[in-house]
Formats: sequence, structure tokens, C-alpha cells
Amino acid sequence: MSTYETIAKLLAESKDMDPGDIRPDMGFAELELDSLDVAELVMNLEDELGVPVEIDESLRTIADLVAKVDNK
Amino acid sequence: MGLAYPIFQGGMAWVSDAELAAAVSNAGGLGIISAMNLSAEYLRGQIRKCRTLTEKPFGVNIMLMSPFVKDVARVCAEEKPAVVTTGAGLPNAYMKGWLSAGVRVIPVVPSTAMARLVERAGAYAVIAEGGESGGHIGDLSTLTLVPQVKDAVDIPVLAAGGIADGRGVAAAMMLGAAGVQCGTVFLCATECAVHENYKQKVLNAKDIDTIVTGKRLGHAVRSIRNPFTRQYAKMEYEISTTGEELEAMGIGALRKAAVDGNLEEGCFLAGQCSAMVHEIRPAKEIIETMFKEAETLLKGASAWVK
Repeated sequence: MSTYETIAKLLAESKDMDPGDIRPDMGFAELELDSLDVAELVMNLEDELGVPVEIDESLRTIADLVAKVDNK
Repeated sequence: MGLAYPIFQGGMAWVSDAELAAAVSNAGGLGIISAMNLSAEYLRGQIRKCRTLTEKPFGVNIMLMSPFVKDVARVCAEEKPAVVTTGAGLPNAYMKGWLSAGVRVIPVVPSTAMARLVERAGAYAVIAEGGESGGHIGDLSTLTLVPQVKDAVDIPVLAAGGIADGRGVAAAMMLGAAGVQCGTVFLCATECAVHENYKQKVLNAKDIDTIVTGKRLGHAVRSIRNPFTRQYAKMEYEISTTGEELEAMGIGALRKAAVDGNLEEGCFLAGQCSAMVHEIRPAKEIIETMFKEAETLLKGASAWVK
């Protein structure tokens, strides 16, 4: 499973989203995820993949998150 | 941490200055200076003043949405208060600087994921703050947040939100907290320089007198109901009001309350426990009374499960 697919799966599980409605270019705001939701997503992702990601100003979209994980 | 009592005084903007922090530290708790929205040099002056008033450890609270956050973060690394607490965001970008200066970092967190993120970055402890609190708040209540944060991290957890007497302290300990942070009760400390009208608002508040505004902007804030909050709440629910108009309305409102005592236009940030604060007392008396009561309650607590 790719990082993107893992993220889509986690969002589908925790936020009851349809994975088909999620695109890599979507910002967290567009997905109606606030800062606490993003923190939760990042920690769930760490639990799933074992990759710690720092939350900073450069983290705005699903694609940004995928890049941070894949570049580790 | 060398405290006689495991209690922090919350870092309240326009309220928590060097004199209040020193009074709390001298009383055996951890006094905390608020860096609020002011410059780094204001903070440096307050830290140095506090050092002349107490030899005990004290802390600084950094509001991460402050326009001066980078500068005040640097001043904390230079001046090295015993503790930095943070609020309204994730402090991880500044934590390396504080940790390498030997400053203990204890962020205020509103969720388990935030607690885990700051633990990973080296936090010494976390303050799990429930939505009963005054000022910027999260959705979860203290009763539900504290045990969940306790389960999520291996560092000590302090409980905040709704704690104003020994019953609250005892309950927090039972939830797994190693200590508490209180704001509202110290608003009414003798040593607190906030405007007398502010103290009277807290003393006169009844159980249902606080209100949460600002949810629409994503920055929920609890304060005591007054003409300002009525007007704000009304505008918040009017579709024609823009986010910018709401933001503009909030600017300076806390200062008007804390410094000017403006009962009409001020925003009197305070927690739900305002109604449990009945008198103005020295910080030492506030703390000693709370912990004496908590000790008595905890000694008799097993009676309920026999």
C-alpha cells in the first residue's frame, strides 16, 4: 500500500470519509481537518508506518504529508 | 521540580505578570509569567523582575499565535526560566532551542495526539487542559481529557480546567494527574494586579455565567458574559458578518477588561469555576487551603469503594 493510500485509509477510518473523495492535492482545510485533526492523522500515520513526521508550516496538503513520509 | 505543591498558576495574558508569578512561586507552586502578545523585551524585563522577587523556580507561558513568538522564544532560551509552558498551538519548532538551554518545556495540550507530538519532541510534561478553562480552549472536558492523555504518554500530566478548590485537585489526582494548573482562582489572588472590576466579575459570576465565543474562527474562547460577549455572540451567528469583522472586534478586548476594567467593551476571560471563587486571598492561602482540603479528601476516598 502506498503512503497516499495509507493516509486515505486512515482518514476513511477516523473521519468517516469516502477514500474516493480524497485527492493528493487537497489541503487539510478543504478536507475540513483542523490542527487537532492533522495532529491525530500524523500520529496515526506514525503508528501505522513507524515514520515520525514533524508538523510545520510546509505541511498543508495530503501531497505534502506523503512527501514528508516518503523522503524520510 | 522542587515545588512544595504540584500546582502551576496559568499564564494569563494581561494578568500573569512578574508579581503574581513570584507570589505563587514563593507560596510553593510554580508562578508563570505570560509573554502574551507583547515584545521580547517586555518579557525579558518581567523575567528579570521576577528574579528580584523570588529565588524559587518560575515559568513563562508563550502564546504561540503571538506576532512576537520567535523573539520571545529566543528570550526564553537566553534567560532560562525553569519552565516554558505553551498554548494555542504546537511548540515543536522552538523546543530544541529551549531544551538545549536546559529549560523544561511543558505544553498545554487539548488532545491526545498533541500530547504525543510534544512528548516525541522532548516535553518534560504536558498540561491537559479541559474546555472548562477560561481563555483559549479545546472541546474536551477535563474529566475525559486527563485520563486519555495520561494513557497516551509516558511523561507526567498536569490537569487544568475547572479546578478551583481541593475537590478539583483530589479529582485531578484520581484521573492520573501529577499536578494541576489553575488560572481563574489566581485571578482573584491579592497579588494579582488585574483591574478590580475583573476580580469582581469573577467573584460575582454564577455557574452559568461563562460563554464560549470564537468557534467560527477556530479559536474558541471562554469568558464571563457581559455586553461585549452578547454583541460578539450575536455577530458570530449572523451570516453577513465576515471573519475579518469578528477578528477585529476581538482585538484589544482583553486589555480593556484587564487594564481598564471596562465592563461594557472588555472581554473578561475566565473559567467555569469562576462561580467557585468567593474571595480575594493571598496566593499562599489559596494554595495551602486547596491542598489541605485535597489531602483530607484523598485520605477518606476509599470509603466510597468499600
